[in-house]
Amino acid sequence: MGRYVLRRVVQAVGMLFLVMFVLHLLTTLAIQLNGNPALAFFGDKIPSPAQVAAVEQRFGLDDPCYDQPGNPCLGPFAERLGQYAQGDLGTNLRGREVTDIVAAAAPNTLRLFVMVTITWLVLGMVLGSVAARWRGSPSDHGIRLTSVLIDALPVFVLLLVYKEIVTVPLSGWAKDTFGEDSWPPYWFKPSFDPEHPWATVAVPGILLGLAGSAAFIRLVRASQLESYGGDHVRTARSKGLGEGRVVVHHVVRNSSIPVVTAVGLTFAEALSGAVITEGIMNIYGMGGVLWDAVQSSDVGLVLGIVTILTAVTVVVMIVVDIAYAALDPRIRYE
Amino acid sequence: MRQARFATFAAGAAVVALTVAGCSPSDTADDDGPVTLKLTIDQDMETLFPGDSGNADNIAILDVVYDGLVRYDPETTEPYNYVAESIESEDNVVWTIKIKPDLTFQNGEPVDAAAFARSWNYTAGHSELYSNYFFERFKGYEEMQDELDDDGNIAEENSVEELSGLTVVDDLTLEVELTAPFAGFSTMLGYTGFFPVAEECLADVEACAVTPIGNGPFQVTEWDQGVAVDAQRWEDYPLDETPEGVDAINWREYSGASSWADFEAGDIDVSYPAPADLAAAQEDPELSERLAQAPGAALTYIAFPLYEGGPWQDKEFRKAISLAIDRDTIIDQLSGGLATPADSWVVPDGVPGGEAGTCEWCTFDPDAAKAALEEAGGWPEGETLTIGLSDDETEIEYFKAIGDSIEANLDIPYELKPNPDFFTIRSEHGFDGIFRNNWFPDYPLNENYLSFYAVGEEGAGNFGWYSEEFEDKLAEGDQAPTLDEAVVKYQEAEAILADEFPTIPFRFNAGAEYYSERLDDVVLDPFSGAVRVRELTVTE
Repeated sequence: MGRYVLRRVVQAVGMLFLVMFVLHLLTTLAIQLNGNPALAFFGDKIPSPAQVAAVEQRFGLDDPCYDQPGNPCLGPFAERLGQYAQGDLGTNLRGREVTDIVAAAAPNTLRLFVMVTITWLVLGMVLGSVAARWRGSPSDHGIRLTSVLIDALPVFVLLLVYKEIVTVPLSGWAKDTFGEDSWPPYWFKPSFDPEHPWATVAVPGILLGLAGSAAFIRLVRASQLESYGGDHVRTARSKGLGEGRVVVHHVVRNSSIPVVTAVGLTFAEALSGAVITEGIMNIYGMGGVLWDAVQSSDVGLVLGIVTILTAVTVVVMIVVDIAYAALDPRIRYE
Repeated sequence: MRQARFATFAAGAAVVALTVAGCSPSDTADDDGPVTLKLTIDQDMETLFPGDSGNADNIAILDVVYDGLVRYDPETTEPYNYVAESIESEDNVVWTIKIKPDLTFQNGEPVDAAAFARSWNYTAGHSELYSNYFFERFKGYEEMQDELDDDGNIAEENSVEELSGLTVVDDLTLEVELTAPFAGFSTMLGYTGFFPVAEECLADVEACAVTPIGNGPFQVTEWDQGVAVDAQRWEDYPLDETPEGVDAINWREYSGASSWADFEAGDIDVSYPAPADLAAAQEDPELSERLAQAPGAALTYIAFPLYEGGPWQDKEFRKAISLAIDRDTIIDQLSGGLATPADSWVVPDGVPGGEAGTCEWCTFDPDAAKAALEEAGGWPEGETLTIGLSDDETEIEYFKAIGDSIEANLDIPYELKPNPDFFTIRSEHGFDGIFRNNWFPDYPLNENYLSFYAVGEEGAGNFGWYSEEFEDKLAEGDQAPTLDEAVVKYQEAEAILADEFPTIPFRFNAGAEYYSERLDDVVLDPFSGAVRVRELTVTE
């Protein structure tokens, strides 16, 4: 087990290095081809050469390699790696610490993910299990149809409708019904409120989870159907175990492996949904920060955030692997 | 194991449920609690350091955090002395600024001549600061700039730290020497870049950029970057321009999201709907009574690549393009009440010297447009007119409509080329067709709309337009003995621009904001279009 984890970590570091290098090349090339962010800093003003030079220096783009298209800028990259090795993730273009930005943005995105994960598990497990248990029944067909409908409804439509049409009357109603000094009006606020992060992130998180839950429902249903047809279930039944016990212990538990995998894998995917959700609901989170960083060619910020995200993803993967062993006694990492 | 797994989910759900459904949120204001004004800012704000703040958001916040030497009249935009006792000059080169006595910063330091000198020297000596270029007119600015090598990178850092033209005469007297006469000098002094800074601020500029130490009616208590800025009333504020009934201000940052739903839900005091929601707002009679409007000062205009050959070299062709654009219809359909058609290079009525109608060919006249195009020799067969702009969605809509207008009336096929790196392309003369430009003036004087056309030599600047006559006229304005006479000279310079027609005015933005029921006396600044926070009243 220990050796397995170690091997995974070494693989992950190599992977991380590769990801960083490719990103470094891409952002560097973007600056070389499109010109430098220093000019955008002045907007409509016409800066003197001295001002442009000073801003380039401030942004850390004063290395001559940024003026030569095709130059991989290995010098700045090595410098950055050295910084990272000392635990310093550097700053964004305007000198704000990347760690500060992440510390401010990550908790909100994690809150969103917690809500999304709970929504998936509750919806997926309940609806998927029901559909599998009564296969071919009207409820099964109903659940499958619902999952198709959910797929057909993009998340941004769901969120925009909620924000622009539902929240205003709903929060007004909640204020009138429960009083201003109660929780319900906060649940239905049209935008995120940093003073009450959990209350205002709950509904957007549930909606984002709902939008991504269709595949999840189908996955749970399919893997449970496989279990229902399995030898171990037939054995359990022939031993005279009650149906409830068979379902919970032999079907649900055995079919949880693909489900846990999916939760682990969708972290990265959920980030793209998070960009949209954060944008519409005005949540200061990682999705939006990364989006803006890429748009403004902010090399340091893009690399810093991706490094952190990659590290997190790797940890999640390893945790998922270990969870396998816990779920299925036949899996052992030796 | 299995129990543990379900228990974990259950526990997770319970934690959330408890957090969400726990006791009541205790921070809601009671009727006798402090009154917080809730405003919004709409971009990613980077800094609150006066010398580095140049966008509408940080300018709006610093406007209540700092007091400048002059402030501007909301009706006429004329400057009047505020922190300054007097600003005088015999020859418009050497200016003597006297400061009112007994003023302090929020940390107790005196606001004196040294506080202004400290701030100006710092900003002038750091070329990487946004407002650095304001000090180009000061004697000694050149000596403070870094030496560059041939690649345009800094070869040698400059060690000069003080403007030679800036002298602290005594505690409350500051003397400024300019490199050349400039009648509009006192008009500039209300701009953000000229605010004083405290010694404590310069000792730690990074901290000061997040929680500035001002001398205005409000003190920034916390800026949670990317989320919100909080400021509280400064109890010891000695002067009189401060909003009534406001104890605190909270600015929520909305980068890209709309705050209209929050406004409707009563969480925000000032907002304006997206075009989709505008009709509903305009039809609401109760809401229409809470609408503040003002002309805006920002000009969107169209430029030509005069740095390269092509039909644009012919003034008749430029006229044809301008006459073919149906400004009124386009702006009526797309602006949602936030813009007006432009027929001058300086905003009319908003600033001294601004006059409507200086652009003779800014009307929509398809027949005259066709005639002008013919005179210019027509459009080259088989060529497509490219329209360059940044990737802002609103602007793309506008310029698609402009392109359609040109195509419909002149039969010139066009292609939009939106690009996020617009500014770089423009500065490198990379556009080979017409392109969008925008100018948001810094201070209310017509000179500020014109001086950036003075590029000093052929082929320089963003448009490749140079006129010696125009630049001489601007210089005459700078040297005029009084501001009124200067304004007239600047108007003459604008007339030269109107005659040579290197750029086409398209639209001025207009300010419009809906405000909540508890607000009163809401006026918009005719210059920035933002709410004048110091003039408003909160009734609760």
